Amino acid sequence: MIEAKDVSLIYQDGTVALKNINIEIKPGEMVYITGPSGSGKTSLLKLLMGMEYPTSGSLKVLGQTMKRGKGGRVRKLRKRIGPIFQEFKLIERRTALENVMMGMRFLGISPRKMKAEAISALKRVGLEHKIKAKVDHLSWGEAQRVAIARAVARKPVLLLADEPTGNLDQDNALNILHILNSFCDSNTAVVITTHATHLIENQENATYIRVKQGEISIERRGQSL
Amino acid sequence: MKTFFYNIGYFLLEASRTIRFNSLSNLFSVIGTGLILFLLGMVLTGWSVGNQLVQALEKEAEVSAYFKDDISEEQALDLVNTIQTIDGVQKAGYIDQTAAYEENKNMLGKEADILKLFEDNPFEAYIDVRINLNDMDAVIAKMSKLEGIEYVRDNREILNQLKGIVNALKIIGVLIALAVGVTTLIIISHMIRQGIYNNKDQINTLWLLGAPNGFVGFPFILAGTLLTLLGGALAAGLLSILMTKGYDQLSGYLMFLPFPPMEELRDKVCLLIIIISAGLGFVGSLFGITSIRKSN
Repeated sequence: MIEAKDVSLIYQDGTVALKNINIEIKPGEMVYITGPSGSGKTSLLKLLMGMEYPTSGSLKVLGQTMKRGKGGRVRKLRKRIGPIFQEFKLIERRTALENVMMGMRFLGISPRKMKAEAISALKRVGLEHKIKAKVDHLSWGEAQRVAIARAVARKPVLLLADEPTGNLDQDNALNILHILNSFCDSNTAVVITTHATHLIENQENATYIRVKQGEISIERRGQSL
Repeated sequence: MKTFFYNIGYFLLEASRTIRFNSLSNLFSVIGTGLILFLLGMVLTGWSVGNQLVQALEKEAEVSAYFKDDISEEQALDLVNTIQTIDGVQKAGYIDQTAAYEENKNMLGKEADILKLFEDNPFEAYIDVRINLNDMDAVIAKMSKLEGIEYVRDNREILNQLKGIVNALKIIGVLIALAVGVTTLIIISHMIRQGIYNNKDQINTLWLLGAPNGFVGFPFILAGTLLTLLGGALAAGLLSILMTKGYDQLSGYLMFLPFPPMEELRDKVCLLIIIISAGLGFVGSLFGITSIRKSN
């Protein structure tokens, strides 16, 4: 599903974000990327989302080689990914429901089914009472849950979440992690970056990628891994 | 295609949001486009009237062939038949001296009394030939060579001047149409770029979610086309008012000229302006969304 071989990412200003990393992520795998701020977690996720491209090495996501000049193919690939952005990237002046549906409109789903899936996703994240609320009027935590609903409603084969629990209280954070975890049962690979190591450290059946100064160490737990 | 039909409502809603988001600026663009298209409509009207005049004059293009002195009436009638067979001749008729006198008397109107000063009929018999204006030169050349024809009188100068005026009007029309087209394209593409800039975060998010360019760009194309159509409707409305109020007065002043019927001309010009506005809006919007592709 994801295959990175000796991947490095160096930004134009010379900042080395990632150094010769090697990762393999399989369908249904739960992956946590942890590390201090500025360690390269988000850079790694951006590579997987096609928001950045490797400076060297080879990276394949869902069979697609991620490299500059393949923008059209990468955009098609994104339809199969459920991204959750750190800064949410919700569309202003739209309701929570409209935002969730916006992520599904170009997937060829009928409007009725789209609406039903979007409402169901909002219910899953506990926002059934905010369906018609404009996202501009939501709290930080609620907005984050709309972003999560938008990603999961797409029924992606790969979920990429950048700090999805960053603005949530412990109960909501655990609930969100539980929801994201549940996707692994349907063979969706879930990759999450997080600071909240206390919420995930006891979890079995997961892969932990620790990023430090652009380098990674991998710990796999559980029988399927 | 399925995705497109599923999302028609969404596209319309997004287009209306784009329009409303920058409503004042868009309002001025609609007024500007409308006035430019109004100008184009005026030119098209002038063009249409000019063409109608030339066509009417072309149908009425007549030349007169005068006989040599020694020709008999029988020979003159033979010449009429010969002229009738020349390519480009619609009709040829023999006008005897009496008919020529009556014709000129009618033409002189109140001044006809002057003819009483002549003891004899001063007018000669001739052949009245109705021709196609485009074949005028060839027809006159052939007629002039016929045995028994002294000379051929034509109104070529007046017809050529009229044709020149209409041709100039056509050139001016094409230039104005070009200027209008380019100006409208610039206005619309600028408007669309502005809309894209205002919505750049949304566009970026849609890309990150995997939306294709067509999905992202179509609401902007729709908005641009709708705004230009509004401009076209404004122009059509102004033209309609102006033509309804002013056309009768103008044709009244120039009643000797064959003006086309107002309703027919007004409907045609207004429809054409609306079609042109939709076309320009669509093309202008396409230019506008190139900025999406560049930034993608």
